[in-house]
Amino acid sequence: MTVDFEFRKQVMDYHIGSDLIKYCFQCSRCADNCPVTNVTTDFYTTTGYNPRSNILNALLGYKDAIFSADALTIWGCTVCDTCNEVCPQNIELTEIFTLLKNQSVANGNAPDFIYSQARAIFDSAKAIPTQPAIERRREQLGLPPVAEPDVSEFRTLLKNIGADKKLK
Amino acid sequence: MTEYKMFEGCTIGNRIPFIEAASRKVFDKVGIETSQTNFSCCPDPTGMKSFDNDAWLAIGARNLCLAEAEGKDIISLCNGCTNTLRGVQHQLKHNSWKKDKINKELAKIGKEYKGSIDIKHFVDVLSDNLDKVKGAITKPLNGLKVAVHPGCHYMRPAEWMESDDPMRPTTLKKLVEASGATVVDYGEEILCCGSAVTNAYEEHGFANLKIKMDAIKKSGADVIAVNCPACYQQFDTRQRDLGKAYETEYDTPAMYITELYALAMGFTPDDIGLKFHRIRLTSTLEKLGL
Ligand code: SF4
Ligand code: SF4
Repeated sequence: MTVDFEFRKQVMDYHIGSDLIKYCFQCSRCADNCPVTNVTTDFYTTTGYNPRSNILNALLGYKDAIFSADALTIWGCTVCDTCNEVCPQNIELTEIFTLLKNQSVANGNAPDFIYSQARAIFDSAKAIPTQPAIERRREQLGLPPVAEPDVSEFRTLLKNIGADKKLK
Repeated sequence: MTEYKMFEGCTIGNRIPFIEAASRKVFDKVGIETSQTNFSCCPDPTGMKSFDNDAWLAIGARNLCLAEAEGKDIISLCNGCTNTLRGVQHQLKHNSWKKDKINKELAKIGKEYKGSIDIKHFVDVLSDNLDKVKGAITKPLNGLKVAVHPGCHYMRPAEWMESDDPMRPTTLKKLVEASGATVVDYGEEILCCGSAVTNAYEEHGFANLKIKMDAIKKSGADVIAVNCPACYQQFDTRQRDLGKAYETEYDTPAMYITELYALAMGFTPDDIGLKFHRIRLTSTLEKLGL
């Protein structure tokens, strides 16, 4: 297994509490309380989704172990934030997992719904754009029309950041 | 009372607006004033944040700028929107280089993020006004058995949500009890609905949802009380497929806490568009004599 020092540095720098991640002592409370680990692994298997091994591989810089494995390794996480609460070392695991997901998106390996939602947001500034049938329903329910965002200003912002380049 | 900027979010505003209707009616009764502005998508803390954290920050900060321009706090109807807007604020307040980076981008569209307003989940605002809520209840939901599902992003991460206890939440229970209904404990209250993982891996999402639904069924609950549109949709639209996958019947309706309140405050099922629920509420309404 090769160590990618650049990746390791990115991981160390990412956390708001700087290098907190290096205090992980692999106690496995995160995995023991993860709902997805619960339904994808049993005591005897090493497959399935496991937040503890993701933290270990990230802090050691084992980039390939994370990104060359099945996409479930990264995208199994349902972002319930339970691991953050149970970790005795106060590691915000989901922030590290955000970094992993962002890199997986840039590599083109994320699940389709991630790209399609980003596309909808880029096109209309809404994850779910306004639809005539729903507008009529709003009216029937006595609701005001949704206040429409300034789409062109919104897109300028996204383009300047370069997020449009990650779209599929 | 202070006026809030209403953040109904994409899902409620543009897909399930009947939840907004019930919520606005309840806010009126309680005296919570709101006004609109041109917010974009929050954006989604499981989707867009996973896509690109910087884009998520910039879009969220732009929304906060719109509320800051009016000097008003935001009231959100959705766990995801609250989690994003509070999470963006958290990152920008604790990370000066990120704040500088985002403000450089915002300057190009004539905006600046200052961090001068607060973002409130509507459940917390209702909880702060519980006396007024109780005062507005004219038809208590006596006899209705309710399982509560506050949803992950309402209370976690505690670091920036600063609302309820992240592992032993009580606020939604308290709100349901105020309606006259009875809360039934089912032991899996803090388990995720699994919305995000179901989008990517349906079989794993269903395996998780089954654990949740089996516990709810066993508790004998008539309804699941929720305060998040993603959780609402997970329960309302995916129970049927879950039932097919496991050859069991799952049909416990999910209702927003504001839908329960609207009924308890005397509105009719038609006033708040309950017919737009996928899972029929017939037996629930019969039980309430509606
Ligand atoms: S709970 Fe925290 S310290 Fe324990 S293995 Fe998980 S990340 Fe490491
Ligand atoms: S946030 Fe992700 S990794 Fe953490 S417990 Fe939830 S599903 Fe598991």
